[in-house]
Amino acid sequence: MTEEHYRHVFVIIEHIDGKLLPVSLEMLGEARRLFDDYNNRYSANEKVVAVVLGDNIQNLSKTLIEHGADCVVVADDPALHSLINKIHTKVICQICLDKDTASKIEPSYASEFQRPRYMFFAADGIGRHLSSTVLAELDSGLASDVNKLVISDLEISHPVKTGGKKIMYNKTLEMYRVDFSGFLWTTILCLDNTNENYPLREYSPQACNIIPGAFEPLKPDSARTGNVIDFKPKIDEDDLKIKVLSQKFVESEVDFDNYKAVVGFGRGIQESPEKNIKLIEEFATHLNAQIGTSLPISKNVFSASPATTSTYMIPARVIGTSGQKISPMLYIAFGISGAMQHLSGMEDSQFVISVNPDENAPIKDASDILLRGRLEDVIPLLMDEIKKQLPEMEIK
Amino acid sequence: MSELNLAVVVKLEPDLSEGNISYNADGTLDRQKTKNTLGPHSKIAAQAAFYAKVKYGGKISIGTMSGHAANNALQIAMETCDADLLQLYSDHKFAGADTIGTAEVLKNGIEKMDGKMDIVFSGHRATDGETGQVGPQIAWKLGLTFLGNVISYDVDMEKRTVTAKRLVNLRGVPEIIQEIEAPLPVFIAIDPSYKYYFDTVSLRLTAEKYKREAHERAQHFDDYIQTFTREELGADETLVGLIGSPTIVYNVQRVPKGKATRSAKVLDGSNPEHIRQTVTAIKEAFSAMVIK
Amino acid sequence: MEQYDVAIIGGGSSGLAALKQLSNLGKQAILLEAGSKIGSKNMSGGILYSKKPKKAKVTNVDDLYENFLSDAPIERKITKYVLHSTSKDKIYSMDLTAAHDYQTNFACSVLMTRLNSWFAKQSSETSQKYGGGIIPGVHVKSITWNEKGRAIIQTDELDEFEVKAVIAADGVNSEVAEMVKARSKFTTSQLYQGVKIIVKLPETIINERFGVNSDEGAAHLFAGDVTLNHIGGGFLYTNYDTLSIGAVYHFDSLLNNPVEPSSLIDSLLKNPMISELIKDKVPIIKEIDKSLPQEEQLKTRFDIAKIVKTWNAVRANYLTSSCTDPDAAKLQLERTEEKMTTKFDIDFGIDYVESEYGAKLIPDGKRCMMEKPFFKNILFVGDAAGRGIFIGPKIEGLNVGIDDGVRAANAVARALDMDDFSENSMGTYYSQLIDESPYTTEMKQIDKDYLKIFLDAAKDIPKDIIGSRYCPILKMMSSGAFRGIAVKFANMFGYDKLLPMIETEDTYVKIPIQLAERLGKTLSSSYSPNIPSISERISKLNYNDDFVSHIKLLDTDNEFIHNMTTLCPAKCYAKENDKIILQYEGCLDCGTCSQKTEWHHPRGEKGIHYRFG
Repeated sequence: MTEEHYRHVFVIIEHIDGKLLPVSLEMLGEARRLFDDYNNRYSANEKVVAVVLGDNIQNLSKTLIEHGADCVVVADDPALHSLINKIHTKVICQICLDKDTASKIEPSYASEFQRPRYMFFAADGIGRHLSSTVLAELDSGLASDVNKLVISDLEISHPVKTGGKKIMYNKTLEMYRVDFSGFLWTTILCLDNTNENYPLREYSPQACNIIPGAFEPLKPDSARTGNVIDFKPKIDEDDLKIKVLSQKFVESEVDFDNYKAVVGFGRGIQESPEKNIKLIEEFATHLNAQIGTSLPISKNVFSASPATTSTYMIPARVIGTSGQKISPMLYIAFGISGAMQHLSGMEDSQFVISVNPDENAPIKDASDILLRGRLEDVIPLLMDEIKKQLPEMEIK
Repeated sequence: MSELNLAVVVKLEPDLSEGNISYNADGTLDRQKTKNTLGPHSKIAAQAAFYAKVKYGGKISIGTMSGHAANNALQIAMETCDADLLQLYSDHKFAGADTIGTAEVLKNGIEKMDGKMDIVFSGHRATDGETGQVGPQIAWKLGLTFLGNVISYDVDMEKRTVTAKRLVNLRGVPEIIQEIEAPLPVFIAIDPSYKYYFDTVSLRLTAEKYKREAHERAQHFDDYIQTFTREELGADETLVGLIGSPTIVYNVQRVPKGKATRSAKVLDGSNPEHIRQTVTAIKEAFSAMVIK
Repeated sequence: MEQYDVAIIGGGSSGLAALKQLSNLGKQAILLEAGSKIGSKNMSGGILYSKKPKKAKVTNVDDLYENFLSDAPIERKITKYVLHSTSKDKIYSMDLTAAHDYQTNFACSVLMTRLNSWFAKQSSETSQKYGGGIIPGVHVKSITWNEKGRAIIQTDELDEFEVKAVIAADGVNSEVAEMVKARSKFTTSQLYQGVKIIVKLPETIINERFGVNSDEGAAHLFAGDVTLNHIGGGFLYTNYDTLSIGAVYHFDSLLNNPVEPSSLIDSLLKNPMISELIKDKVPIIKEIDKSLPQEEQLKTRFDIAKIVKTWNAVRANYLTSSCTDPDAAKLQLERTEEKMTTKFDIDFGIDYVESEYGAKLIPDGKRCMMEKPFFKNILFVGDAAGRGIFIGPKIEGLNVGIDDGVRAANAVARALDMDDFSENSMGTYYSQLIDESPYTTEMKQIDKDYLKIFLDAAKDIPKDIIGSRYCPILKMMSSGAFRGIAVKFANMFGYDKLLPMIETEDTYVKIPIQLAERLGKTLSSSYSPNIPSISERISKLNYNDDFVSHIKLLDTDNEFIHNMTTLCPAKCYAKENDKIILQYEGCLDCGTCSQKTEWHHPRGEKGIHYRFG
């Protein structure tokens, strides 16, 4: 690889309604950590470059710099207001190949600069497709749904890539992703073709899209400085025929997807429904968990205050075949026996704890731990222990 | 107004249903022993194309790149959408391709279909591989506007535009429904939740008519297959297969966690030690990898 | 608004017969069915008859579908028909084949899901030719009329559309009948509740056990203690490689003595004769060692599922009369079993293999046949018109529905030609055709020849068991000399007055028990069948749950609704904290609770979908 041509990591920032999405700061955090180490190891001066496209988004730059960006390239234009894949793809590619921008990012590398060394996108409803089209245009490699990154010098021998020879690939980005079975981590590499039997090809940038929540953002540091680079995008007239007619959030009454932990309750509350639900609420708050119920609760058979009833005894709270299917990292079931349709609603949870006085309740087969006892007795004990072991729950 | 030229790119995938799937001792898929079938997302893409055929009239061509016998998948695809043409791209030079290499083959294939395509459909992602990259990359190579996660769409045959509803999922905000209009030709990657819907008697009758025709055609679906080697496709050999692929799979490791049947450890809720153990388990659960 | 000539509501055998006939006559008709596929919401006992009544003709299934006997997915032709009286382990059997064969061309066991699917295929091409067709996944929710008298049909799924004539074939719980107020809901005294299960048994084992050839079958009926003191009986029909086992009981008798419907099936299964008839070799799979690593447990679980699937296929291939190479098949089976034993530690034992559970209500035509089977331009057929034949062991519904469907189609075709769909023209004409139907006669009068055959079969019953039961008229019927007069009196007296005397616990429970104890053989069973619970039965069924309930509870403070906690075959009703709650998610659409609820069929494609039917 003619490495002088490829510098820096470009992080494609995502935002909505003027607010940065959490994944943007997570990607910057990981980029910062990787590059602090990289620059140290290789005695380099390469930059973490945040790339932001939008309309009236100047105010985002400060936050980005506070969270680790060395530079922020801002393309601010009304045509970039709605995220239209075609338009954004072209503009991002323009930025990647723009010498003028490169000279503003790091003048000492500018003359040789051709394109970024690495690129990070988010693995979400925007980034998955955006990264695919950008890399199709840049004609380089992309790994999806990555949750671990390492930069290393690797000696690689590959029948096709290297023609069987052992070649040293320096500063290679190892991109780890979990395969569909959930059992294997595959490492993807984007490598130049050095096989003499075929045309030699350099593939840059090495790109990946990153799973939201996989990395931690930095703590914002207002002392950090960086430069903001304005980029004037070139927009194709024809592309303006693509129009976003409307865009709105779906107000699903109860959101389970954005919670790492979910607490469910069932008939076990029956001794004193109002009191027990309040107890469960307190517990859920400790863990920053969403609350769901088993089906019978939604049939409104347990008397509670009007507020509690309208909040919890509704179909939108139900976890099961006629309600929602959830897959949080942690699911705790209080007083749920485990009817088959509830189990199929929560069986994809990573770790399941059920609290039930009957240790042979059917939910046992879908649990990792069954804590024998009544929820009103067990919850206070759990809460005390949680306060001890997990003082500041940083679960979002 | 003239009919639509519709294409669907589909993938042959392992049949993951219980009774068909086989696992290796290390928990990985035993591909030799597991049958292949039409990938579920590809099937939904075929259903999306069927909607256009019924509502607006048109011809549907299916394209797939496969090293194995893709007959099973092509037959199911035929039955799903009453296709008029089935194309199979098969060449040992296509093997080992990553998404760019695959997209290049499929792009060439689509260019060999009858007429210029108005809409190309694909699924959201494959059940194995799961990158979801090939669709947008084919779109880019063909110069088509890419619309992803489409949950419903309609065509204005006069204006030759598509209006589509898309479901955009972003972590940290509620789901978004976006309505977008684009001039034909477009590439639609269909959202897994897509279900077509015909709301008049006449559309339903047409749909039933085509479904019957689809079933008949599926009985002798091989009459509809065209096969292409790399040469016949006119694909540049440096751009396809392993040669044309920027990325390789370097390493495969075991991941400690996996989704399998659980065996519950029974603990006593009145025992402080057990409570402690439980909370420790909660702590560990939060620090484990996000596997989505 | 789109306009069509005819709408047929309901894709059961009745509606499909109407469609076939209309297509034969070159008329345009669309058939609306709520299930996502034709056949998926049909349930039957089931035996389909082809009859040759003496006094007039009917259109039989083999008349309407010429290729029925050669091409249709018929299970077996029933050639043996036996009524058993049970008391614990004693059974007294009466051969009723002659009664069964009375005025019958043939009778065949059927599974409605596949049979109706076949019926649909026979009509789909022709109906499409005339601009019509079958539309599944649509639920009719209301019907209105415009000034021209055309019916406007509103559905949950489609834009409304206009038709000239409607044939209502939407079954015993007909919503059409209710929504236009053509009749009131059937009362519990007019209905029977039927529940059944499908049991899997290889073809050649059925042949051997029931003493039949591959295309022949047996129908066994049961009365006595298996009824748990209810009025009605159990049945066991042989299908090709399955058995239909179930029970049919008078709704009133169930209300008087509520028992969970699935336990009525269980009581049959525990009877030694039935246990022995249904048993099969089954693999006994040991629990996977939980101390093994997760991936190995997973791999083992899937491998076991795969080999059991293979074993079932290999076994089915061997135990069939069409096995081309029995020796090779046997060898393959033995090899598979050996692999199962050595590699997976799977043992083999004896049990029965239960598959689909289902339920439906059956109208007793004698008590509820619609006197005026039409309303404006809507004609009612089959179960929707309350037209089911229910006379002792004689239960016929499918053939009646098919014949009705043809009659309705003929009336509609005539109306299309005359462009007159009024009650005076089309309705009245249809009513005439219905009056002419021999099935209608059967529902109105006792047929003395049938009676004679039945009584002949029962001639060995000791007179003292009958004793002082039954009124003089009934007693006279058993005498050959007086039968004719007795029947005339009976018919004058009226079926409805006679019935309460015949359809009693004496007839269905006490007499059979005494018969069995006095004259029965003692049977024993070599094993104890492993019977699934009701929740296991329901969990194996295929549902497409809607997010709203299709049944709304009204006032729940009445005995009927409280009885539903026992009588709902799917246990959808439960008592929680003194309140009755309804979980519609497991509903079988049988209509048992429809009396005192706001009852609808689920919306299009929603709810239960049967695999066998």
